[in-house]
Amino acid sequence: MATGERDYRIEGKITRAAFPLPDLTWPSTAQFWAGAARHELLIPVCDTCGRFRWYPVAHCLWCDGEPYTWERVSGRGTLFSWVVVTHAFLPHFADLVPMVPALVALDEDPSVRVPTRMVDCDPADLRFDMPVTVTFREISFTGVEGSVTAPLFVPA
Amino acid sequence: MTAMAVEPGEWGAAVDLEDVNGRVAICGMGDSDMSKASGRTTRQIVGQAVERALEDAGLEPSDIDGLMYVGMPEQFDVTAFHEHFGTDHEIWESRRGGGMTGAATAPAFAAEALRRGEARYVLNTFGVAWATQRGEMTGGPGESHAQDLFKQNLEIPLGWFPQPVYFATIARRHMHDFGTTEEQLGAIAVACRRHANLNPHAVMHGRPLSMEQYLASPKFVDPFRKEDCCLISDGGGAYIMTTPERAADRPKPPAIVAGVGLGNAFTGTHWAQQPAFTSTPAVFSAPAAFAMAGIEPGDVDLFTCYDPFTIVTLMQIEDSGFCEKGAGGEFVAGDTLHFDSGKLAHNTHGGMLSHAYVLGISHVVEVVRQLRGEGTAQVAGCEIGVYGGYTGPQASTLVLRKA
Repeated sequence: MATGERDYRIEGKITRAAFPLPDLTWPSTAQFWAGAARHELLIPVCDTCGRFRWYPVAHCLWCDGEPYTWERVSGRGTLFSWVVVTHAFLPHFADLVPMVPALVALDEDPSVRVPTRMVDCDPADLRFDMPVTVTFREISFTGVEGSVTAPLFVPA
Repeated sequence: MTAMAVEPGEWGAAVDLEDVNGRVAICGMGDSDMSKASGRTTRQIVGQAVERALEDAGLEPSDIDGLMYVGMPEQFDVTAFHEHFGTDHEIWESRRGGGMTGAATAPAFAAEALRRGEARYVLNTFGVAWATQRGEMTGGPGESHAQDLFKQNLEIPLGWFPQPVYFATIARRHMHDFGTTEEQLGAIAVACRRHANLNPHAVMHGRPLSMEQYLASPKFVDPFRKEDCCLISDGGGAYIMTTPERAADRPKPPAIVAGVGLGNAFTGTHWAQQPAFTSTPAVFSAPAAFAMAGIEPGDVDLFTCYDPFTIVTLMQIEDSGFCEKGAGGEFVAGDTLHFDSGKLAHNTHGGMLSHAYVLGISHVVEVVRQLRGEGTAQVAGCEIGVYGGYTGPQASTLVLRKA
């Protein structure tokens, strides 16, 4: 596997009025959001070694390969961890709290953890590694115009 | 235990550093005033710490011919140094210093400049005015993460932001994998607050915290309470490095650099994707530093570490080898981390949880103070002190010992 410091970070000042909505034009994640709009959960796969490339960084963590292809996954996974947030860390989150940001490990490869929010559930009922499934919902933020379809998760 | 086993080589590695054991000494140190929002600028803050470090070392500004800092905005570079002190002499400089991991690794890079004669006295500084800047929503700990485009487009829209959310997620998984409890995290917060209440310079001085108070505090990022999270502060610190020979002529007893280690996590600040989810790269840095110093974890009298959240302290204690991985909760329970426990004294100035959030520079200052016997929560017979630095992508370990 590749070693050394990674090119995991690409910097961009926050100049978009739509923040914290995603930038649908950013090439590295545009297909992820285009897929979500079609109610498809897409995850990139490394063309060189066949492992998931999550996040879609320029070089594969495992083989250093560059090209990758977005592939549709089942949307089924397990709840890896979660938190119950009652404080709005951004003013844009004011109408969302309390919320349950979570990491979901995909059934296809549990080392792929999708950041998401758990919805339609009582946080007290959540359990580690419980089966969960994707649901596509419109998300919006306080004081920000517009919305986007995002992959959220519910208990399976 | 249900933790998924991850081989160390699959998620990070140690960085090769040259052996600097016994080649660098810290001959002076100083803290700025620590505060909540104060209206001061970063450079005013660091300037005050440098003035105090110079006085401590018995040196003049013109004696400083090496300067280290980190490439963050407003740090104390050569221009700032000259503006502050009205000097204009030539100064060797390096951006491989500052706070965070750099507060531990600066001596490894200063060693080369000292050996080559490029500098005789190398000053390392760091400071922030994040409490003051917070009101303007500039600077501050969240901004750098929000400027990562992967986070902007894959994490923040889902609400997985900022640091308290990242580390509460890690803490919850650690609780599941290893049985760690809220009380055990609380033991870390309570120990740091006790030390801060012995330290008149700590921001939380005069604000005691009992375990009962900790447990009664609301969990605003469940499983975290605000007491699990570090402060937001204005403050800074500085220390001066030279050769052990020159340090012997300075007024205060020197602290000798015995070991330095540095480790990388390949997934950087994308904690959600770190294969060893409940570990830090101290797994790589600590064994390297301890080997360089020729010591075992059990030889350490004082362990200060970068403590943005209680869970980060717990993980670094495990990852540095003070106990087995997963046993950190039981290890820190009770009085283990208190200065007078005779076990593993920890963050005796109060740490970032209760002294000030100055990103680790004051931790190194505190180790030097303790080795001199000048601590406000003085560890009896403190001969070996360690600082663990952390940024997420990296962790570092610095071993200091009495001359």
